[in-house]
Amino acid sequence: MSTALVDKILVSILGRALRAITDEMSISMERSSRSPILCEARDFVTGLYDAEGNMLEQTENLPILSFSLSPVCKHIAQKFAGEVYPGDVFFHNDVFSFGNQNNDVAAFKPIFVGETLVGWAACKGHQADIGGAVRGGYNPAATEVWQEALRIPAVKVYERGKLRRDVWDLIFANIRLPIVQEDMRAEIGSCTVGERRLKALIEKYGLESFEAHKRALFESTRAMMAAEIEKIPDGVYHGEATSHFDGHHPGSKAVVRVTITVEGGKIRFDYSGTDPQTTGFVNGTFTSSASATILTFLQMVDPRIPHNQGMVEPIEIIIPEGTLLNAAYPAATTFGNHLCPNNADAIMRALSPVIPERVTAGWNQLLCSLSTGRDTRKGQDTKETYVDILFMGLKGGSGALPDCDGYDHIGMIDASGGVLDQDYEMFEQISPHRLISHEYACDSAGAGRHRGGLGVETRYLVGGADTQIVTFGDGDIEPGFGLAGGGNGTLNFIDLEYPDGTRYRATTKDHVKGVPAGTVYVQHAGGGGGHGPPKQRPAELVAFDVRNGVVSLAAAQQLYGVAVDPETFAVDAAETARLRQGA
Amino acid sequence: MSENETYKLGIDVGGTFTDLFLWTSSGNVQSFKVLSTPKDPSIGVLDGLGAVAKALGLTQSQLCARLTSIVHGTTVTTNATLTRRGAKTGLLTTAGVRDALEMRRGIREDQYDNRQTNVVPLVPRYLRLPVRGRLDHQGRELEPLSQDDVRAAARVFAGESVAAVAICFMNAFANPAHEQAAAEVLRRELPAAFISVSSEVLPAIRFYNRVSTTALDAFVGPVLRDYLRALTSRLSEAGFKGALSIMQSSGGVALPDATAKKPAATLLSGPAAAPRAAAAWASPSGYPDCLVVDMGGTSFDASLVRSGAVELKSEGEIDRLRIALPMLDIVTIGAGGGSIGKVDAGGLLRMGPESAGALPGPACYGRGGELPTCTDANLVLGYLDPSYFAGGELRLDAKAAQRAIEQHVAAPLGLDAERAAVGMYRVINSNMAHGVREITVKRGLDPREFPMVVAGGAGSLHGCAIATELDIPVVLVPPVASVLCAAGMLLTDQQHDFVRSCISELARLDPERLRGLVGELTREGEAQLRRADVPLDRIEQKVALDLRYVKQYHEVTVPMTLDDVTQGDTRAVVAAFHREHDRLYGYELATEGTPIELINVRVRSIGRVEKPELPRLPAGSPDASRALKRHRRAYVPERDRFEEVPIYDGHALTAGNRIPGPALIERTDTTVFVSAAYDARIDDYGTAVVQRRAS
Repeated sequence: MSTALVDKILVSILGRALRAITDEMSISMERSSRSPILCEARDFVTGLYDAEGNMLEQTENLPILSFSLSPVCKHIAQKFAGEVYPGDVFFHNDVFSFGNQNNDVAAFKPIFVGETLVGWAACKGHQADIGGAVRGGYNPAATEVWQEALRIPAVKVYERGKLRRDVWDLIFANIRLPIVQEDMRAEIGSCTVGERRLKALIEKYGLESFEAHKRALFESTRAMMAAEIEKIPDGVYHGEATSHFDGHHPGSKAVVRVTITVEGGKIRFDYSGTDPQTTGFVNGTFTSSASATILTFLQMVDPRIPHNQGMVEPIEIIIPEGTLLNAAYPAATTFGNHLCPNNADAIMRALSPVIPERVTAGWNQLLCSLSTGRDTRKGQDTKETYVDILFMGLKGGSGALPDCDGYDHIGMIDASGGVLDQDYEMFEQISPHRLISHEYACDSAGAGRHRGGLGVETRYLVGGADTQIVTFGDGDIEPGFGLAGGGNGTLNFIDLEYPDGTRYRATTKDHVKGVPAGTVYVQHAGGGGGHGPPKQRPAELVAFDVRNGVVSLAAAQQLYGVAVDPETFAVDAAETARLRQGA
Repeated sequence: MSENETYKLGIDVGGTFTDLFLWTSSGNVQSFKVLSTPKDPSIGVLDGLGAVAKALGLTQSQLCARLTSIVHGTTVTTNATLTRRGAKTGLLTTAGVRDALEMRRGIREDQYDNRQTNVVPLVPRYLRLPVRGRLDHQGRELEPLSQDDVRAAARVFAGESVAAVAICFMNAFANPAHEQAAAEVLRRELPAAFISVSSEVLPAIRFYNRVSTTALDAFVGPVLRDYLRALTSRLSEAGFKGALSIMQSSGGVALPDATAKKPAATLLSGPAAAPRAAAAWASPSGYPDCLVVDMGGTSFDASLVRSGAVELKSEGEIDRLRIALPMLDIVTIGAGGGSIGKVDAGGLLRMGPESAGALPGPACYGRGGELPTCTDANLVLGYLDPSYFAGGELRLDAKAAQRAIEQHVAAPLGLDAERAAVGMYRVINSNMAHGVREITVKRGLDPREFPMVVAGGAGSLHGCAIATELDIPVVLVPPVASVLCAAGMLLTDQQHDFVRSCISELARLDPERLRGLVGELTREGEAQLRRADVPLDRIEQKVALDLRYVKQYHEVTVPMTLDDVTQGDTRAVVAAFHREHDRLYGYELATEGTPIELINVRVRSIGRVEKPELPRLPAGSPDASRALKRHRRAYVPERDRFEEVPIYDGHALTAGNRIPGPALIERTDTTVFVSAAYDARIDDYGTAVVQRRAS
């Protein structure tokens, strides 16, 4: 009989079982955490790793957090070699030992079968506060890490099931919000769920068989990824994209430069030549930048490839230290995750001429805001503070493909639709603000034979007291770019309309204090880039968009060359033919 | 048959077949299958009645005169949703949030797939109309409702010939006044339209859940109303004067008029009766709990029965659209007789989710299908008799099955057809085992603790293999396996579910407030059941609380006894909450002293209906040799080889018969494979109890 077949089938079973576990860990975290950043938006990832820290599987609600977990796991396994026991729990956020962002704090739990360390469960989420100079963690004025956050290099918070109260207290004495303690408990719970399930799985198959099938799973995954890479013509490709404004010097720019080398089943992303790191917090860490590279490339290959060590093996990433994407100690780096859109644009520009069917037009770049303050509905003198990241506001459109419109209101490419809007009614329960509107923005999508995804406009009425609004992002200068004759999406902006009638346009790295109640917050998240000449878009689709109020009559006429009756929304065929003449 | 014999009928209308299950007052049962008529499913129902009448030697009107009740499960609302053939629907909503329905909170389920498109919304944007008027987070009015906006919207809806309107306003869970006022205007201005009001359909916090559920309710409302009208009029023309009840997603039944008021509650009506039937046939063997798996042509449904009842969840999705109404926790995956096998680029064998369906069907059907399916593999493995499929109605082409497997699976893997079929059998079994894990392991339950009831035409060939994969010791194949849902409908109680927001720290909750709310909901449930003629002594009320640790966002639903409600004693419910939290989320905070918050109070009002006695088989001895037909070469997984396996005539077995595995038991509607590590025993009710042999 053929043992190869039997192996392959058990391998498939193992791959699915691992994903079922990381999904269950994710549900556990989503349903038991407290900060809306986690339980509403799902700004977290869960994963399983083998004893050495190699990735077994992950559930990547926010992929930009994902691909630093394995390096950190390896780091912990080495640092604590010989001192890892059943019932241990480790915390980590340090960006200078493979962390991706200060606010993204991970819990790791070793998994034992008998006396043998067999793997690790991890959960990492964006915590509502992480100490540092500014409540909520984003400090555009920071020039070094200590002004941003409490550093947590790998520390053991539980040993053999016993809480190390001194270590725990030291950490949480340096974090403003009690909720963070609770959310770290939820992370540990999620790891415990993973520990229970992986342990049972390994006990069922036996450790030896598990290890053998794990290696086969890695190898088959590596082969799938290599086969996908082989479909890209061998060659050397260049792309670049510009990050605007470092938070300190208006008008400043820093350029991401990538050289992609495809050789058979291997691909190399070399960022040598990228501009030096900035003085502020607009700097990547190695793992945030590598995550950006991987998640962008994953959108250009078969989406069914399992996420384990084998998947990343054919991918090599070189980022010189001291550059924008890999800042040297002790730089400020909180913005690093948000360099992903620039990194993605550079990769897409490099590869779109080579594999046009797999590369989208430009996505709307992230522009986000975070509000904090006191919820005076609980009493004028309440000391209770809240932190809310306005996920619903940041969701612009994705870029179109040669055969497919962009996705409306999907948000940053770093999450690709994995993070969610907060529910409107929960937003009004948790923060003192009141939602005025959250709707698709007319004419925000880049025109094209396939149009970009729509952007959104969000307005809310500021409530409470001591309100601060921090912005972080880009996309106010360069829009989501069109491809093959498609148009660009719209630009981002955030405006504050103060009660006294004045209006303030926030910069993309701003910290606005003392925002009075009654201010109207207005945010436009732009659309994605279009693909192909707009005048080739079927007129009925344009008319349908006009009827739905997401493309204006004027845009239909001028950009798409389609004349639509403003009453009946029927296409005026003769006039349309005339407008499209020569197109 | 006696002159005054009466009948009850369960009718399950599926996409391909309409299953009927007849139960006579003298205790006989019979199952029927006729082709469905998707354009007007009530025609298929009447065809089914015709088939039943013919079998009984009656005219249709004679049959109808003797029918005391029909319980009916339908996929009309499910299919209307999946195919987007519901009513032309409008949405009236608070100005500023009209896109929430389409945005779905901005999710793209397949994050890395740039070709995944958003779901087509049930209501296009030009029919989602804003109205001014605003309530705050506690339901206090900030701005009065603009009646002008409502009337203007009504004019647009009328001009567009909208047949249904959903109304969903911000914070209406806390105060329904604006929605009620708007509904009144719309009912006046659009008298023919079906109106769904969010504070009636789902009076609970979370705008997206509410708007999505209410839009679904409106979208399928006219479809269900029209269908029920057609059905009731056809039935009454045929002379039916008994009670018609409709299966609900929650696993209960309700009268047609109550059903038509909350159509969204029928979206999962189709598979909802199977668990009840499974429980009925499992309990005589001493199993209050069981897993239920139902494997049809394209899909595999799995659910879990505990203490004779079915697990419920408070929300789920249909075609990526959120529906936040109580529904049975049934996991559906794409695995069935028609699932197609293929080898991917990494050299891994996959089965499904693509299905050959009924047309072109598996290669062995000889109807043009060329791709290898699960049924083709089963034929090559010797599990199916080519001349006795569906009781001999369809002749299977074994050569075609072999060819398809050779070309598409065996050659790419470098195997022969039989080894490839073995691989296909194993992969689909493992897929189905994962479906079972979703409802067990994923919820922290151990599948080994439950016997597995197997249903559907194809299910009983795979039962032992799924059980082996999950280490399940007992597989039960009831005599009604192929029409389990239709049979289950006759065993289902009347049921009404209520949920009300009641936000309070549990320790500070005024016991009078909880008593009052529970009293109000139970009285409402009782009134609805009394309207369906349920006697008082058959009414049961169940209370559950949605609880969470303070500042969490999501709740855990924990049952509370009526006694504890009356006495205001929360100790038991608190202890149960801590336990449940640890089981689900890996930790609990009992020792931290973290306060617990109450969010919703749930009441389920159940009217126990009188249920037929299960029919018994004549008693026999352990010796089953009388039913032995012959032997056939078939694959035995435990020994990983083909052997001559005995074939038994399932219709000739008597209670007490024992059949050691490996063996095949053939019935006209299904074939049971008893694997080598298992033995089968036929119980008093005709269920094949397939038990792993003690080793």
